[in-house]
Amino acid sequence: MQDQHHSASDDARPLYDTDDPGSTADIAANAPRYRRKSSTFIDGIHDVPEDANRAPAQLYSTMSGRLFHSGRIAIVMVGLPARGKTHISVSMARYLQWLGVKTRIFHLGDYRRATVGHGNDVPEDYFYPDASPASVMLRQKILKKCREDIYGWLNHENGQVAIYDAVNPTATGRRALAKEFAKHDVQSLFIESYVDDENILRENARSVKIGSPDFANMDPDEAAKLYLRRMGTKIPTFETMNEKELNYIKMINAGQKFFYNNVSFNYLSHRIVFYLTNTHIKCRATYFVRAGAALGEESYKADAPLSAEGFRYAQVMAETLIKHREQEHAALAAQGGTAVPMRQLTVWCSTRVRTAQTADAFEERGFKVRQRTQMSQINPGVCEHLSERAIRRIYPEEIEKHELDPYHHRYPRAESYHDLAVRLEPIILELEREQNDLVVIAHESVLRVLYAYLMHCSTMDIPKLTFPRDEIIEIIPAAYQNEAKRIHIPGLDPNTVPGSPEDIRIPVPDTSGADTPTLLPEPALSLSPPAELKTTNFEKPPEKVVNTAAEAVRDKIADED
Amino acid sequence: MAPKTNGRGVQVEDTKICVVMVGLPARGKSYIAQRAQRYLTWLSIPSKTFNVGNYRRHDAPQPSADFFDNSNTEGERRRIFDATNSTKERRKWVMDLCAREGIEVLFVESKCDDEELIMANIRDVKTTSPDYQGQDPEAAALDFRNRIKHYERVYKTIDEDGDESHYTYLKMMDVGSQVIINRIQDYLQSRVVYYLMNLHIRPRSVWLSRHGESMYNLSGRIGGDAELSPRGQQYAKKLPELVRQSVGGDRPLTVWTSTLKRTIATARYLPANYNQLQWKALDELDAGVCDGMTYQEIKDVYPEDFVARDEDKYNYRYRGGESYRDVVIRLEPIIMELERSEDILIVTHQAILRCIYAYFMKKDQSRSPWMNVPLHCLIKLTPRAYGTDEERYQADIPAVSTWRGKGSTAKHEDPIPEASMSH
Repeated sequence: MQDQHHSASDDARPLYDTDDPGSTADIAANAPRYRRKSSTFIDGIHDVPEDANRAPAQLYSTMSGRLFHSGRIAIVMVGLPARGKTHISVSMARYLQWLGVKTRIFHLGDYRRATVGHGNDVPEDYFYPDASPASVMLRQKILKKCREDIYGWLNHENGQVAIYDAVNPTATGRRALAKEFAKHDVQSLFIESYVDDENILRENARSVKIGSPDFANMDPDEAAKLYLRRMGTKIPTFETMNEKELNYIKMINAGQKFFYNNVSFNYLSHRIVFYLTNTHIKCRATYFVRAGAALGEESYKADAPLSAEGFRYAQVMAETLIKHREQEHAALAAQGGTAVPMRQLTVWCSTRVRTAQTADAFEERGFKVRQRTQMSQINPGVCEHLSERAIRRIYPEEIEKHELDPYHHRYPRAESYHDLAVRLEPIILELEREQNDLVVIAHESVLRVLYAYLMHCSTMDIPKLTFPRDEIIEIIPAAYQNEAKRIHIPGLDPNTVPGSPEDIRIPVPDTSGADTPTLLPEPALSLSPPAELKTTNFEKPPEKVVNTAAEAVRDKIADED
Repeated sequence: MAPKTNGRGVQVEDTKICVVMVGLPARGKSYIAQRAQRYLTWLSIPSKTFNVGNYRRHDAPQPSADFFDNSNTEGERRRIFDATNSTKERRKWVMDLCAREGIEVLFVESKCDDEELIMANIRDVKTTSPDYQGQDPEAAALDFRNRIKHYERVYKTIDEDGDESHYTYLKMMDVGSQVIINRIQDYLQSRVVYYLMNLHIRPRSVWLSRHGESMYNLSGRIGGDAELSPRGQQYAKKLPELVRQSVGGDRPLTVWTSTLKRTIATARYLPANYNQLQWKALDELDAGVCDGMTYQEIKDVYPEDFVARDEDKYNYRYRGGESYRDVVIRLEPIIMELERSEDILIVTHQAILRCIYAYFMKKDQSRSPWMNVPLHCLIKLTPRAYGTDEERYQADIPAVSTWRGKGSTAKHEDPIPEASMSH
């Protein structure tokens, strides 16, 4: 996999001069640069898209580009470090963009780091209410640049929601902020993450903060305590929200309880509350696997049962997955010392016969299986059983439309990927809610869409994602971005590995001329092009291919905003 | 064996939840309970409202514990317990009862201290109660206001003392201007909470129409993506006038159609200032392998399926297609969207219309798939606090009947009176 991304701080030249923070320069030249992704295996949530192709489940569009009659909103995060603000910001942005709401996150920490330069620290009194004039100036410069970017995004780039990820510790500051946003005709919604449960605090500090070199070679619990104490002195004043005149949602102890003060909530605010009631900040894995190959003809309508090879696949797949989990758990135990119990595993499949039968391999082993009717494969409509050539002959005008927009176009009686994404929305929310590790057994079309949600892929890429049968895709959520891994399933019949033959045949521009005398297209032609990573070695042991996206954002993990 | 679903049985969620309303009288509890019940019933989560007021009127001071007894209400998943439940002791009593039965409890509290809102609510609802029959409304309202003062003395809001923080609850204060959501346990609870937050009481109506008569309707075929028949075209042309007449003015509506030709063609002549939106979720029930067949053909080719469908029409899933249950699941986001919207006109198909109608009119799933929904007729539904008003506007353009009685393979037959949608 060639990842050409680089972290924001590599780009930033340290313009900040510790002796004279006010006079140096142009902070504007210093704004954080967002990574561009070059791979569908990197979570794209922080990309700045050049196109408008990041809204898989958008229902309608408007002239203004804003949805749900909700105008422009600044979502202002409130909360001390290690309260999961970044995690909440990122997952909220993921969901809103999925719905088509143009959303961007502005992490104040990115601006601070870009300004003080990589490896430098802010002055000791940076967060103090009675900071030195130099520190106050620096702070204001950084804030100003961040806010300017927010207004630029909302006013000139057609953005609808800006998520402002910072501590925002005082009531006075928050009132001033709401006033300033109102002046720019932007509604504000504050979301505070409030934690008074010691266990959650320690767990958060342990899992996200102690990766930083400051805490190397320390007992994790000690490091967590030290970190929290340090934050306590660094940010001495913090007032929890109680401003009656502001719109706010207070998320208490990572979603155990919500309080909201509704001065003028719009639909989007309610939707956000609904979303938040379904999220949690626990770390758990999602595994995507295909159903086994079906018996006889592959047909949408026939809904055929598994073939003998399909049944064998189900067994081998289940075993590989279980073994992988055991290995991971053993490795973790060897590393961490303390015995963490293995997370429970839940299985979801669609109501299609093949997926339900594939899931039986887990049910037999005592795992709980749920059938979900929304997870049925994409409906191919009239294109079922038609060769590409036949489709071209019978529906030339549909082919034209399809080539223009393969994500949104639907063939007669068929579903588009967009239709599928809309249908899967309840599944997405339950996916967020699930606290157990989760195996999703579904048709490739469904996996594409769910994967695209978690990894924030472009709608242009979704129809082309491939999920070969001999790989389990594992997604591990992290605060700043999700990570994907591939686990090889050994010893499968190579013929059953590639993409689903009963899928809608996606026509590619016909280069061979209309009179090519073949009746059926080349098999490879009708299938989607492979993603960049392709495993062909079937004798490979069942070990994981690790994506090291975490390395790229190491500096962000120790974020203090 | 004839495949009833996908041959693997119907999988229903097995959580049992009891929604318990908490709050002083005249705080809109019954309204909330009633709406929650309608929503859950429609999602096939059977629920009932127990109104303690009714028990009192029948000289039973407290509902007896036997309505938690599962033996006589088989398959019941959820109960809505509508009473004041205004003390901690009372809530603990409910909690313990449910815990013993393995039922999750969701407390929903409506708290309101705004004297004006309370009086308005009393005048609206309570003075029509049987207790005050034949009395002067204003005097009755005042009398009621004084009577509920008694409750206020003993009233404890949920978790007021901090020792009920382990309960799952939704507390709405002053009609939702402040809300507390505590310990949501599962997706269903979050869905109910979201649903309750989206309810609004602004006056509005929902208009429903099937597409005009289609070529497939004429030949008695199901599914497909056929064009309108000449009479169907006439209906499409008449629809704008019918809608104007029903709306009573030029106020524009938002129009939702399916993605199939016949609904889009039916909505074609509506005024340009009506926003139109196509929903895939409004497409007709997918008949799978039977798509495009007549009922006679289905009976000939899939005789077992034909019988299985008539035995349990709600749960029967066509081979490679859908059941009514599947349709309800896919319509759920539409209902959520409808609840938050204002005036909407929906042009859709027979099975879809049956499901949407069943939601508003509280029709149960054994009857709704058999309802007669005539072609060329506009239905106006107006949700009220305690039910939904229905009006019908006939286009007076003849059309075939697509209603089918149990066991019948007739191309067109007249509906029997019981199948009519209105009561």
